[in-house]
Amino acid sequence: MARRASASPFACPRVVPVAVHSVPFSMKPAAFNPTHLVACLLVGVTAVLLSFGALVTTYEAAMAVPDWPATYGHNMFLFPMAEWLHGPWDLFLEHGHRLLGALAGIVSLVLAAVAWRTDTRPAVRWLTVAAVALVVLQGCLGGARVLLDDKTIAKVHACTGPLFFAVAVAIATLSRRPADTAQVGVARVPVALLVAAYFQLVAGAQLRHLDAAVDPATFRGLVALHILGAVAVTVLAVVGAVLLTERGSPAARLWSRVVVALVCVQMLLGAAAWVANWGVPSALVSESWQWSEPLRARSVWSAGVVTGHVVLGMLILAAAVVLAIKAGAVGTAAAGERDAHLLPGRVFA
Amino acid sequence: MIKPRQSPLPGMKMVSRSGLRVVPVLAVLVAAVGCGRTPPAAFRLNMVQATKSAAPEAGMEKPWAGWARERQAQVATILEAMFGTPDEPVALAETGLDHAKLALAAGPVRSDIVGRKNGLYREHCAHCHGISGDGMGPTAAFLNPYPRDYRPGKFKFKGTWRDARPSRDDLVRLLHQGVPGSSMPSFALLPPAQVDALVEYVRYLSIRGETELALYSYAEQELGTDDRFPETREFLVDEILTPIVEKWQGAEEAAIPIAAVPANVDFSKPGDDPANRESVARGRTLFHGDGGCVKCHGVTALGDGQANDYDDWNKVIVEWSKEVSGGLAAGKSDAARSAWLHAAEDVIEGDALRPRTIPPRNLRLGLYRGGRRPLDLYRRLYTGINGAPMPGVGPSGPGGKGSVPDEEIWHIVNYIRSLPYDFDGELGVDRPLVAKDRF
Repeated sequence: MARRASASPFACPRVVPVAVHSVPFSMKPAAFNPTHLVACLLVGVTAVLLSFGALVTTYEAAMAVPDWPATYGHNMFLFPMAEWLHGPWDLFLEHGHRLLGALAGIVSLVLAAVAWRTDTRPAVRWLTVAAVALVVLQGCLGGARVLLDDKTIAKVHACTGPLFFAVAVAIATLSRRPADTAQVGVARVPVALLVAAYFQLVAGAQLRHLDAAVDPATFRGLVALHILGAVAVTVLAVVGAVLLTERGSPAARLWSRVVVALVCVQMLLGAAAWVANWGVPSALVSESWQWSEPLRARSVWSAGVVTGHVVLGMLILAAAVVLAIKAGAVGTAAAGERDAHLLPGRVFA
Repeated sequence: MIKPRQSPLPGMKMVSRSGLRVVPVLAVLVAAVGCGRTPPAAFRLNMVQATKSAAPEAGMEKPWAGWARERQAQVATILEAMFGTPDEPVALAETGLDHAKLALAAGPVRSDIVGRKNGLYREHCAHCHGISGDGMGPTAAFLNPYPRDYRPGKFKFKGTWRDARPSRDDLVRLLHQGVPGSSMPSFALLPPAQVDALVEYVRYLSIRGETELALYSYAEQELGTDDRFPETREFLVDEILTPIVEKWQGAEEAAIPIAAVPANVDFSKPGDDPANRESVARGRTLFHGDGGCVKCHGVTALGDGQANDYDDWNKVIVEWSKEVSGGLAAGKSDAARSAWLHAAEDVIEGDALRPRTIPPRNLRLGLYRGGRRPLDLYRRLYTGINGAPMPGVGPSGPGGKGSVPDEEIWHIVNYIRSLPYDFDGELGVDRPLVAKDRF
């Protein structure tokens, strides 16, 4: 009882629960799990989709195709391949983003069908439904953004994308092994990290889709919010890693370190993104260190850095999802219970 | 009986499932923040000049705020009739502006034809220079120097006479080379047609901004409190617009003469080369003497001379702030004047960036914002920098006489180019950082 009374993330006795540490990663091959396979495919497709989306914003290519769901009057899927691949860069990005979005939608539907046929776990099943709902919503938002040519919708579209990615990653993680889902326990620090990572993406989306008509004070506020978000994510990542190093499962330890590593790279990319857009801040360095070369608008370097910052932010969110699940996993399923979640007839190994 | 869930990690509290459900709800709420269609882009009035020019006459009986609003509304109406909106700009034939180019640069970013992108200004420029070209884009407050305000029609780096407008070639060159040491990037990677469209749109915004300033200037000098601007073609086009357009069209013929490079100047060799020593020594003499450069750039050219001056864009705000705060401190004579002073105070706080001094350039760094070619430096020296305290050493206009003969300016250019290498050893062993230390 005394231990429970002092249960806080920072003040806890060094007592390691047997359930977590006495069961190492099992080397026994798990049963073939079609849900996990399709979920992994969805994560891969979504990662490419979001990267295209980030490039679309970097190159302001969202309106490179004025109609939707058609592409310059063609059925989206029948748009001439040569014109897409060898046409303008903006068109390549926007049309590619649409095709990938459609592919993500199809994979989501397949995933839901597979999950409801082969997996008994409610969490996995309902998350696949959420994925389908989100991908449909996201597609509609993308269409509305084009048809209405509206930046507010673009912002919402940019916030829903990572949410869908997080759900896809959660499905892939939860469906991987039953041990992870025996009890979806979630610890506070990793969940706080997950929420902070998402809100950081939301703040970033406000900066990326900024309306040129807003005043400097609004932009200053958004920058401050984004920097505060970065501090919050960093602190939570480090605290989570420290706590999980002492008391977490091997998987949680690993993922907490992955998050810290990604966040470190992200801080550098964030600074580089600022420099790529606006140069070295004069308030931080003396004139002696200003570059004697001008910045280059639309250079591959600047576009790569800025887009990389967005994509890495999404990867941090994905890693935070995995961490939140791993940190909460009990991992106590005995070998005999390993495949219990699979419906009879669906176990192939 | 439902067993309470226990945390798998000691010390880490469990988050309840109902708590977790809040996360997506919060996410949707956050995503929806600011929901509501983005309003169409609109030009902002030059509120500093609008308010400054609307000083009430003594004993004015009308409520000042309502009267000022009416005048501002009339200015906005006139400007919209003459120049259209950011999404649909209008180019009167008298402006000589190319409407096709304006259409390419204006409006939101979009393509209606494969490979043709409209909205170039909003894509590349508006975030810093603002929709109205007022240098008040969202990012402006963070940048040093502040983004250029096109509305007074003043541009720093050009090859025309000091007070002349820049030529199209000047603006194209500026877009190509960017402004090193500032946030203005090079747009050399854009297709020439897009650069031309952007140049045309900048000229459009400048002409529009100058027209607005001319209206305020007219109001200040000619209009009483009961008067309105005459909305006639003779007044708006012939009296207000034409003189402005003539300045822009005249810029194409207003290039400064470039003197022949003296025989003892060889720009292909560094300053310590024997071929250039004589020229560099002459340049140094002029730099410290007739050129008057040391006053601001300092005897060691580190930019440590007079550094408390403002450029013209900031000076307007500084001087008017003093006037307004002086008026407020002195007490209010009547309601109208009191309202005007308070409105002015609000405008200075809300519609202008905090003024910054303009430090003289440290010439030891090899960082030249207007370009580093000898020709660029020659032009800077010849005309000075329009809008900045930097004076020219050449004549102020055709037929004039400068403080340094044209041909001699090349020697100062040579001397300036030698400064980053510290060939003269003037800085001594405790010298501060110079360009050569950075590599």
